[in-house]
Amino acid sequence: MSDQMKTYPVLNIISHSPVMKSFYFKQPEPDIQSGRFFNVWLPGVDEKPFSVSDVFQGIMEITVKAVGPFTRKLMNVRRGDLLGLRGPFGKGFSHHQHALLIGGGMGIVPLRYLARQLRTLGFHFEVLLGGRCAQDIPFQNDFSEWAPTTFVTDDGSLGYKGLVTDYMQDKILESRLSFIYSSGPEAMLVKVMDLATQAGLDYEISFERYMKCGIGICGQCVVDGSGIRLCKEGPVLTRLEAEKVNEWGMPHRDATGRRTSH
Amino acid sequence: MDIQLKTTFLGKEYASPLVLASGVLGLTADSMRRVLDAGAGAVTTKSFGLVPRKGHPCPAVLPYDSGLLNAVGLSNPGVDEMVKEIRKLRDHSGTSGIFASVFGRTHEEFGEVTRQAVESEPDLIEVNVSCPNVSSEFGSPFAASERDVEKITRIVKKAAGKIPVSIKLTIHCPSLIKMARICEENGADAITAINTVGPGMLIDTGVMKPVLANKVGGVSGPAIFPLALKAVYEICGNTALPVIGTGGVRTADQAVQMIMAGASMVSIGSAVYYGDIEIFSRINRGIYTWIEERNIEDLKSIRGVVHE
Repeated sequence: MSDQMKTYPVLNIISHSPVMKSFYFKQPEPDIQSGRFFNVWLPGVDEKPFSVSDVFQGIMEITVKAVGPFTRKLMNVRRGDLLGLRGPFGKGFSHHQHALLIGGGMGIVPLRYLARQLRTLGFHFEVLLGGRCAQDIPFQNDFSEWAPTTFVTDDGSLGYKGLVTDYMQDKILESRLSFIYSSGPEAMLVKVMDLATQAGLDYEISFERYMKCGIGICGQCVVDGSGIRLCKEGPVLTRLEAEKVNEWGMPHRDATGRRTSH
Repeated sequence: MDIQLKTTFLGKEYASPLVLASGVLGLTADSMRRVLDAGAGAVTTKSFGLVPRKGHPCPAVLPYDSGLLNAVGLSNPGVDEMVKEIRKLRDHSGTSGIFASVFGRTHEEFGEVTRQAVESEPDLIEVNVSCPNVSSEFGSPFAASERDVEKITRIVKKAAGKIPVSIKLTIHCPSLIKMARICEENGADAITAINTVGPGMLIDTGVMKPVLANKVGGVSGPAIFPLALKAVYEICGNTALPVIGTGGVRTADQAVQMIMAGASMVSIGSAVYYGDIEIFSRINRGIYTWIEERNIEDLKSIRGVVHE
């Protein structure tokens, strides 16, 4: 892990949609666990945490959607530009057989790299991905090629129309799956946790909070109920860890530390 | 283990002389509770002011070879929110050991924040007059000016009522000894020394730009331990005030050095980066072993020993 700032040239960029891009770098550290994240520094602007979307043949991929001022500026980065990378930070996914990967929106990003790792291990897994529309769901081809994959969209532009959680129970029962991985909007994750608990299944979930230092000292990403720091003990929590937290579904703390709903 | 580490500070007893320093993990009740559970005798909140502040963009905390640079910029949710968190911590744990760190943009604001903070009944008001990271906005830290420190000490002391007050000083002032005496003469109950040093900076040679978003930031961690130790030694030798010694401590031996220089309590901040939250229990155990091996009764018997 490298906590100190180091800049890396962007080797390549691909566009998934007008507002979503993947950036490629020389792999900064060996053995990067899926679910862990890097702090990406756009010099002179800001630095924010991003999950790794893939590591393959010595190249690391970070996938970003333009959702705010910082990520919009990242869309203007060009091949050859230097970005700062610090990490990998936090705790990622462990590996389980017969898992269902449930992703929503940009939560799909860390699951893509997890899927790569599970596939490399020869594990059986299935995938359930959702988004507002087809464009919201990156890596459709990879997932479809690697595992039985079901798509669900709000507008029906890809796969079923509805919410991923509407299809979760059927998928678990049909394929006799025994473990859940999930990442996505928190309302979805709360539902996934409920359904997983009802089904008696263990899970690992990647959560998101405003982060500042990435190294477990500033206290900005600590979740109530447990004192868990999501940048250090997370962002991926086990069921036991997630159950200690009592703020899931509540408005997140912002840069000041106040809970605010945007 | 309990008896030897028990520390009396301003009339209250704490299970350990170790304190969580302000600015580290001190934003929420549950975060601070975890640090108390890990062995800290007390925790200091993140410094808070009258109104919420976002602070500086990131990178705001940056490790380098010999320590950390930080320019968080006094981000905080404001006194209303922090009072709730302090109360929650008190209700949950039923413990003492909560130090509230306050700052203001003006002399009067220090008083106003303190007046509101005492409603949560912290064990101590720590007055952050020495943050080095907001000079572009606030001007140079109040702790550099004897007149400012005098006025703020009086105002906060009055606002704090029966809750004791510690002024957090920096080495960046004309005379630290004189500054400590000014605190003492104007009613301060204790001194916290020292705040981060500098500020300093780091440049990325790839993009040829300063790395911290604020360009400069206070230096903490191992690099500043000798500076902090000497500051504590000087203050303890020249005032009768109890001192919370802080700056770069990350081992039991360094904590013992602080106590030998005269510190009543020892604050731990950057060491959470080096040794994680378990650093508190590790240093506690180390101090305990140090005492056991030497047949010393307790920490009191070595406090300020180098002044004799």
